[in-house]
Amino acid sequence: MKRFSKLIVLVFVMALIAAACGSSSDDTTTTAAGGATETTVATETTVAAETTTTATVAPDPGFEGYVLDAGGCDYGGRVEKITAVDEFTVEFDLCGPHPAFLQQIAFGVFGIQSEESLEATGGAPLDSPVGTGPYTLQEWVRGDSVIYARNDDYYGTVAPHATAVLKWSTESAGRLLELQSGNADGMTFPGPEDYATIVNDDTLTLLNKPEPNIFYMGFTDTFAPWDNVDVRNAVALAIDRQRLVDTFYPPGSETASHFTPCSVENGCEGESWYDFDVEAAKALLAEAGFADGFDTKIYYRDVTRGYLPTPGNVAADIQAQLKANLNINAEVVVMESGEFIQASSAGELDGIHLLGWTGDYPHVTNFLDFHFAETNMQFGTPHPEIYEPLLAASQMASATEAAPLYEEANNAIKALVPMVPIAHAGSAFGATATVTGAYAPPWGQVMFNAWDNGTDTLVFMQGNEPISLYCADETDGESLRACAQVVEALYSYTPTGDIQPQLATECVPNEDLSLWTCALRQGVTFHDGTTFDANDVVVSYTAGLDATSPLHTGNSGVFEYYDYLWNGLINAEG
Amino acid sequence: MSIFNQRKDVEEIEAVTDQRNLVTTKPSSQWKLTLRRFRGRKSGMIGLTIVTLLILMAVFAPILAPYEPNEVLIGKEDVGPRDPPCVHAFGCSEETPQHVMGTDGNVRDEFSRIIYGARVSLTLGFFTVTIALLVGSAFGAIAGFTGGWIDNVIMRVMDVVLGFPSLLLAIAIVAVLGPGLRNALIAIAIVTMPGYARVMRAQVLSIKESDYVAASEALGASSTQLLVRRVIPNALTPLVVLATLGVATAILEAAGLSFLGLGAQPPLAEWGSMLASERNQLFTSPFLVFFPGIAIMITVLGFNLMGDGLRDALDPTLNR
Repeated sequence: MKRFSKLIVLVFVMALIAAACGSSSDDTTTTAAGGATETTVATETTVAAETTTTATVAPDPGFEGYVLDAGGCDYGGRVEKITAVDEFTVEFDLCGPHPAFLQQIAFGVFGIQSEESLEATGGAPLDSPVGTGPYTLQEWVRGDSVIYARNDDYYGTVAPHATAVLKWSTESAGRLLELQSGNADGMTFPGPEDYATIVNDDTLTLLNKPEPNIFYMGFTDTFAPWDNVDVRNAVALAIDRQRLVDTFYPPGSETASHFTPCSVENGCEGESWYDFDVEAAKALLAEAGFADGFDTKIYYRDVTRGYLPTPGNVAADIQAQLKANLNINAEVVVMESGEFIQASSAGELDGIHLLGWTGDYPHVTNFLDFHFAETNMQFGTPHPEIYEPLLAASQMASATEAAPLYEEANNAIKALVPMVPIAHAGSAFGATATVTGAYAPPWGQVMFNAWDNGTDTLVFMQGNEPISLYCADETDGESLRACAQVVEALYSYTPTGDIQPQLATECVPNEDLSLWTCALRQGVTFHDGTTFDANDVVVSYTAGLDATSPLHTGNSGVFEYYDYLWNGLINAEG
Repeated sequence: MSIFNQRKDVEEIEAVTDQRNLVTTKPSSQWKLTLRRFRGRKSGMIGLTIVTLLILMAVFAPILAPYEPNEVLIGKEDVGPRDPPCVHAFGCSEETPQHVMGTDGNVRDEFSRIIYGARVSLTLGFFTVTIALLVGSAFGAIAGFTGGWIDNVIMRVMDVVLGFPSLLLAIAIVAVLGPGLRNALIAIAIVTMPGYARVMRAQVLSIKESDYVAASEALGASSTQLLVRRVIPNALTPLVVLATLGVATAILEAAGLSFLGLGAQPPLAEWGSMLASERNQLFTSPFLVFFPGIAIMITVLGFNLMGDGLRDALDPTLNR
């Protein structure tokens, strides 16, 4: 009995010590955060769909905030100034209203890296990203895999496995084989022919990925005969788009009624695309002076994308349809991917080019403004009938008010036929049935920490090796997926495609949506142990946006998404 | 001399000749001997049979193939992309359209494309070898016959070409010329040319020292006459064997270039490009990889067996 009493007392004393340690830990955090004299208030907050405890500390009065100042808006870009107002507040002063600001900053390209790591690598942490994400980079085995270690101090959902491995295989059949053999727990983009295999296999799961995209065949109207709108219109009428979708696309795909998918707000304003009508097409072509057809080329790159899962087959079928319906002899020309993108973007391809677009963020501007802007020469001479209403609509805060302008632009696209929208492709991921929490998001990247296969290692297969792990200067999805596990942005996408605060707790606009003030999450540390604050945000954006910054190095130095999504780089030459 | 005596002389000569005929047989021609030896080699005959059948298949492709090679069957028949083979005689439902090798990814009849593919492959093989043989052996003959710096220049150039792996060099040439069947043909002809040049030069070096060449030279034959009438005809035997084997190599390399997208371009039915376009369907539609692969294999095997048989038949040291 005496021993039992002693045990109770011992337990009680230990409990007291433990409680005391816990409170002293909070105090330490507060002091370390800035030695502020104000009273610290600890609050319980809900963070990014997970419940966690975060200390809210008063900003450091001695904090010296950085400023990225474009010196006005004459350079044509969207950003006038980005200011670290205090330790945990960043202000984005824009050159005009930006209704899609939150959707845009949630894009993984705008991930926040630690100031120290960016400076240490001279603005090129190509294989040593330092972020705040659920994983730290353990090793990149070139040509084989990227290995991640769990970030045990992560403020969100800590990964259930100690290690995540990202591997790749260009052939979807190869990825499926790895999944079937149990060597992988998940894979991207099974081939359309593999859907039935996955669905009929009890050990596998098909995860539909409602990814808004568009596959189209474009014409550059600076080359004959594509300078004749009747020729373009005839081709638009002569292509059986439903046949292409039925034959070469996976379930969940649909024939495009507009360039932008209808799941994107204001995407489907205006008239639907032309129906398949060979006789009308022949009549139009004859009227244009090409009754006997003509010779042309079909350019494409032999690269599988969600919007074009079987490029060779689709190109061959369009070739066959042009021959059968309009007697157009089209030579199929396969180009190297980079060369094709460059040539098509510059409007240098004299035939039909097969290209597509996967949305970067859920806003109609992401589809229409890029392709049909006044500066885009992809389809030849830009048409004011299209770009003028688009420009006006992009300045409007209200989607309802912008709708008539998108209707006008879509109708002009239909009348001028700079391209023929073919399909909005359905796509999917595959996973083993034993994995819980597996998902395929419509926007953003899949996060491995949500996947639990019940073991200590999760293996995920994608199509290609990342180009680099500094995604501010990358554009391909394979790199973005690899980066997202380590580096986080101010906002992110939920598994269902909605935006949610990530490193910011909230971004609030002014009335005309041209000034956005973001409150940052506190108590977050980078993988290198440094504390996340507003200066990290300014430095990360400076590295991408300011062409004269010593940190504006990257992989290629182009920073394409910064350039395109912010309407140009600050201090860019020319 | 009287007429009587003249007749007597003739009779004596005929008698001597008859006497000789009793003890000797009229020698067979070189080609008859070769043919006899070739017939005695089973593998060679199998090769010849395969090649003959392939040539017949290529010539009569429009009769043998049930469909046009590029005919897309969407909307014409109840078939889809990559439908498996259906042979009514083997139990496939009569209601299902018969496609003995299935349909490809663009819903075209695979069997018809395989048959028409023989035309492309054989044409390419023959033309490539013909160009390489003519140009290569001409260079070899000139180098061997003239000797000196001309020999050195020609053969060093050939050595440089031989120094590269043939397929890699062909890829480089096509990369410069641009993809397409014609450019693939030129590329393969260039990379295979040195083989013919070397063999021809070696033959010429040996033959030009022969007594009959010296005799012709002594009788006043010009260098060109010696080369064209005496040396080259007697140097052709090993080249015939090399050319036969070369057809197989050329077909294989052309298929390789097409597989890489540098040879035949869509929609042309070429076995290499057919293999390439369906390589991702190895596990879901293996027949689309199997049939073009088998077609290439059988063709190459046929030419190799025939070439081996010819080599044995033309080589007197291997005579049994």
